[in-house]
Amino acid sequence: MSGTQAFRRWRFLFTPRWLGWHFLVIASVIGMLWLGDWQLRRAESGNALSWAYTFEWPLFAIFAVFFWIKTIRDEAHPEEEAGPAPEVSLPAGARQAPGGAGLADGEPTGPEDDELAAYNAYLARLSKEVKGHGRWHGLR
Amino acid sequence: MRLNVILYRVMAYVTGVVLIVLCVLAIMQAFTNDGGLVNTVGTVHGGLYIIYLLVAFPLSRRLRLSPAPTVALLLAGTVPVMTFIVERRISHRYIDPALAALPEPPPAAAAS
Repeated sequence: MSGTQAFRRWRFLFTPRWLGWHFLVIASVIGMLWLGDWQLRRAESGNALSWAYTFEWPLFAIFAVFFWIKTIRDEAHPEEEAGPAPEVSLPAGARQAPGGAGLADGEPTGPEDDELAAYNAYLARLSKEVKGHGRWHGLR
Repeated sequence: MRLNVILYRVMAYVTGVVLIVLCVLAIMQAFTNDGGLVNTVGTVHGGLYIIYLLVAFPLSRRLRLSPAPTVALLLAGTVPVMTFIVERRISHRYIDPALAALPEPPPAAAAS
């Protein structure tokens, strides 16, 4: 069960678009390490300026790897950054607004409350299902 | 978020200006054969670009950019004039909507 869940969570990494990005990152990291090695050889042969770039290129390669891991993790765990607001506030707010007025009138029970509760549960379920969808698509 | 946007804009313009200066110097070097200044400015741009990356990447995560805009944002600091173009486009498409969605009108109203 958890195996299939993990597969679902990471499945997006194997779409053609993401495979292309993986390839780009790997190629650029190899390229940056190669450039760093090249600068090291230049530095050793007397080009003092190359020492700066000798350390800069591997640093950029590390950046690329780190940024890539972060991007993938963000994509795989959209709920971590979403915060508590969307799921909690929607049903609570929906219940409070009419409930506050209704309670003041002294009719806390009745078929309307059941209907309202069912509707709120429905809203909560919808928001849970939709959560994370469009996180990337909507902002593109 | 706001601080990150401000830092990003500052770094985008500083890095972009230094890169243009570097290009002008590099072109002049072809005529004067004096490479000392080019090397200095080149190293400065290298250091600035590291800072630019450290500012731009967290911003790209906060804006939840997909890989393509993220790569464009990060590489902008290496292409002359590109920082200005990318800064404008990112601002229009991502930063302005994200800032507008921030639930912080009370402090802004109190400040103004």
